[in-house]
Amino acid sequence: MKKQYAFLVDSERCIGCFTCAMACRNYYHQEEGVVWRQVYPLSEEIYPHRERAFLSLACNHCEDPACLNVCPVNAYTKREEDGVVVHHQEKCIGCGNCIRSCPYGAPKYNPVEKRAEKCSFCHERLDAGLKPACVQSCPTKALQLVDLAEMQQTNQVQYPAGYPKMEKLNPSTRFILPKTPKMVRR
Amino acid sequence: MQSMEFPLVLFTVLSQAAIGLTLMRAVRTTSGGEEAAGRTEWLLIAGLMVAGLLGSLFHLGHPLSAPMALTHLGTAWLSREVLFAGLFMGVAALAVVAGNVAGKPALAWLGTALGLGVILSAGMTYAPPALPALNNALPAAFFLTSAVLLGAGFGSWFADEGLRPLMVRIFTGAVVVGLVLYLVAPCVWLSGGEVMRMTGQAWLASGFYWAHLGVLAVALAVAWKTRDIPAWLPVLVLIGELVGRAGFFADTVHTAANMGGLY
Repeated sequence: MKKQYAFLVDSERCIGCFTCAMACRNYYHQEEGVVWRQVYPLSEEIYPHRERAFLSLACNHCEDPACLNVCPVNAYTKREEDGVVVHHQEKCIGCGNCIRSCPYGAPKYNPVEKRAEKCSFCHERLDAGLKPACVQSCPTKALQLVDLAEMQQTNQVQYPAGYPKMEKLNPSTRFILPKTPKMVRR
Repeated sequence: MQSMEFPLVLFTVLSQAAIGLTLMRAVRTTSGGEEAAGRTEWLLIAGLMVAGLLGSLFHLGHPLSAPMALTHLGTAWLSREVLFAGLFMGVAALAVVAGNVAGKPALAWLGTALGLGVILSAGMTYAPPALPALNNALPAAFFLTSAVLLGAGFGSWFADEGLRPLMVRIFTGAVVVGLVLYLVAPCVWLSGGEVMRMTGQAWLASGFYWAHLGVLAVALAVAWKTRDIPAWLPVLVLIGELVGRAGFFADTVHTAANMGGLY
C-alpha cells in the first residue's frame, strides 16, 4: 500500500475541548463562519451516557475524493507522496460543486474570497517534518497523525456510528470508539 | 434547509424548457409541417438558453472564469454539462442566424441529442453521494419530465392545428408522470436511511413542494377539461417548475447536516 496520511481520532480520549478546531483557526486565520475542523458531539442514540463522546473531523483525504472528481476546474489534487488532498484556491471559480458533493462537509465556502477551501492536512508543515496544527495542539493526544500503510490494525474502525459510510470514497480517517462507562455498584 | 440556489434554478429550468421545445420541434417536424414558424421558435429556444446561462453565472464566485469549467471533462459531470450546454446553444444560435436552416428536422434532432446530454449530465451533477435522496436517477428523471412538460406546453404555441392534439397528449402525459414522481419520491424516502428520511420530511413540509404539485394539478385539470393548452398555461407551469426546483435545492438534506447522528 502506498503512503496515505490519515487522522486517527480516539473518541475514548477526546474530551470535546475544541482545541484542535481552534488551533486550525489560529493557524490559518479563516474568515468568519469558515471552519475546516469541527468537533461533533455524538447523539444520545449512539452514546447514551452522562459522559459525552465526540468525533473531531476535518477533511478525510479520501482515496477516491468526491471533491476532486466533481471539480470542473481541476482545483483539487491528491499528492502522490502521502495521499493528502490539496485544494488549489487560485484555480477555484466558486461553483460550490465540491461543497454540495462531499458527504463529510469538508469543503467550505469562503465568502470573502468567493471560493471554496478545506483542510490541507497542513501539508506545508508535513513537508517541514512537523505535525498538523490540530494534532500538535490536542491536549489529550486524541488526535494523531498516522500512515495507513504502516498502521498496525488493532481496534480502529473506519465507519463508526455518527459518520457517513461512503465505501466508494474510502475516507482515510480512522476512529477508536468510546468505551462504555463502568457501572460502580455499592 | 439549504440555499434555494436561485441561479441554478434559473439555469436548470430555462435550459430544460429550451431542450424540451427542441425535442417537441423535432417531433412535430418529423410528423409533418411546421417549417414556417421555425425561426421564431428557435429564437425562443436560444433566448431561454441565453437567459439560463447568464443566470447560472451568478452562481459562481468568479463568473469571468466560467470557461475554465470545461477543463475536467474526464470525471466532472459539471464540465460535461457545460460542454453539452455550449454545443446546444451553438445549434440554437445557428438556427436563428441562418434562417434557411431553421426548419430542418436534422437540426432539431441534433439539438435534442445535445439537450439530452445536458439533462443527463445535469442529472449526474445534482446526484452526489452527499445527498442520499438524490444520489440516483431521480434528478435526471425530474429534469427530463420538466423538459417534456415545458417543451410540450410552449411547443403548443408553435404547433399548427393538426398537431396541437399531439402536444396536448404529450403535455398531459408529462404532467401525470411529474405528479406521480413527485408524490412517490418523498414517500419512498420516508422509509430510507436517516438523511433520506429527513429529506422526505423536509419536502413534505415544504411550501415549494406543495405549490409545485398544486400547479401540476391545475395544469392537469385544465388540459383534461379543455382538451387543449391555453396560451397562459405554459407560463403558469414554468413558474411551477421554478418553484419546485427551488425546493429541490433548498429542501434536500446533506449528509453533513447529521454528523454525529445515526445514518
